[in-house]
Amino acid sequence: MSFDLLTTVETGGCSAKIPPRQLEELLKDLHLPADPRILVDISTHDDAGVYKINDETALVLTTDFFPPLVSDGYDFGLIAATNSISDIYAMGATPLVALNIMMFPSSRIPMEVYREILRGGNDKAQEAGVSIIGGHTIDDYPPKYGLAVIGTVHPDRVITNAGVREGDELVLTKPVGTGIILAGHRLKMTTPGQLAAAVLTMKQLNNRGAELMARHSIRGATDITGFGLAGHALKMARASGVTIELYMKNVPLLDGTYSLAEQGCIPGAAFRNLDYTEGDTLPADGLDYTLKMIAHDAQTSGGLLMAVAPERSDKMLRDLHSSGDPEAAVIGKAVRRREASLILA
Amino acid sequence: MKTVDTRGLTCPAPLIKTRQGLNEASAGEDVEILIDNPTSFSNVKRYLSDNRLPYTVREEGSLAIVTVRRGEKTELSVNETEYCTTGSEEPAPKVRKTVVAVSSERMGSGDDVLGTKLMVSFFRTLVMLEPPPAAVVFYNAGVKLAMDDSPALDHIRELSEKGTAIYLCTTCINHFGIRDRLPTGSFSDMYQIVNILRDADHIICP
Repeated sequence: MSFDLLTTVETGGCSAKIPPRQLEELLKDLHLPADPRILVDISTHDDAGVYKINDETALVLTTDFFPPLVSDGYDFGLIAATNSISDIYAMGATPLVALNIMMFPSSRIPMEVYREILRGGNDKAQEAGVSIIGGHTIDDYPPKYGLAVIGTVHPDRVITNAGVREGDELVLTKPVGTGIILAGHRLKMTTPGQLAAAVLTMKQLNNRGAELMARHSIRGATDITGFGLAGHALKMARASGVTIELYMKNVPLLDGTYSLAEQGCIPGAAFRNLDYTEGDTLPADGLDYTLKMIAHDAQTSGGLLMAVAPERSDKMLRDLHSSGDPEAAVIGKAVRRREASLILA
Repeated sequence: MKTVDTRGLTCPAPLIKTRQGLNEASAGEDVEILIDNPTSFSNVKRYLSDNRLPYTVREEGSLAIVTVRRGEKTELSVNETEYCTTGSEEPAPKVRKTVVAVSSERMGSGDDVLGTKLMVSFFRTLVMLEPPPAAVVFYNAGVKLAMDDSPALDHIRELSEKGTAIYLCTTCINHFGIRDRLPTGSFSDMYQIVNILRDADHIICP
């Protein structure tokens, strides 16, 4: 592949999201439909909407697309599809079918790249057991790609942001740092190995974590994407009416993340996320500044953050480690609601 | 004076160069950072205030010049001499730290016009205080006193020049949507504000 997709963008992946505070402001006056069949809507800031069809089945719908975050079209397709499907897994659902969403400048980038992106999306969908059955393309620059995905779940087994209970331990399945590593890569500050490790985690489906959530009857979870670990944990805490304590020293980091952030390689999205969380977040005494900023690093196709009853967390970790998430770790705890929704320690 | 030129660079390169410049500067040397990217400008300021590095800002058209004052430690930082006395010696006389906490645009209640007049007069007089207060913390509507059209702004600037640290509550700034209209002072979070108030020997609340 000769065309470098990174030449088309300044910020790619989930870093390109609208600032969360602005988004909340915009959505706040929107009229939410009242329909008893809607089990989950945007009011709990969840990853996907859930619509009950009957007592056995609910539909789970989500869409996600973004500009390139890697140079190679095929990798971009794989990552975008993994990220889109992840929202279905985060709700405890099984993904079934999807539509492509593509914006592509037909006169400015070789059409070969278009094909590569779609091939990546298709391959990842196949791996997840998802059939892509249509799509839509708009001529636009820079390119953007993602999926709209539909899955199903039993209405009683929906996993949401609001399902965290006091005492639950929070388990994170993938290491954090994709935003910082990708920014470092653009400034030629990373090693090829560090970039490859970041790309590899972004291409990894959250399917095994989702299976384990079903097996362990998990009720509260989310996937970590554009709002960063702190932003998503805050949304969970608010939706569940608890306070979440995150122990940043226990958070698994991609190789290179800490040293890059310490050198000032902190993407703008991290500052936007910090703006969002700080009114309702208490940094603990002596919290390391670099770790605080890493907590706000926007992730693309990040891991699942699941709330696990303390007596089950050892077993959950063992299962995750043996099924392909070797870096999964307990990184926090839900406690009785305190003066702030999130405590960063 | 060391100069870091980040013109033409986008996030997070200006922040990385700022960090590098601070590392390379010799002890006490001021560092001047040239920034022409608004997002990076705001992030660099945020980074400096989070790391308790006092700075001043000068804007020339679309160019911002941020000067990090490395010579003048804020008076609230630990005073080494306090730790140098041995048990047998008399403790060194401690400089009393005065912090001013400002929670409103006006002084007192009763008449708003009068209240504004009094607050401006308060700051004019505060500048004459010797030694100057260690810090002034602005929160709630108090942050508006540091806005570009505030009648108290000149006095606040004078205080800053005399070595008083000026802290503005970030949550309040965001609440009023005035982030772009604050020519002086560092942005701080509640954690920092609570620490400043705790470390004060006395607090003046006008």
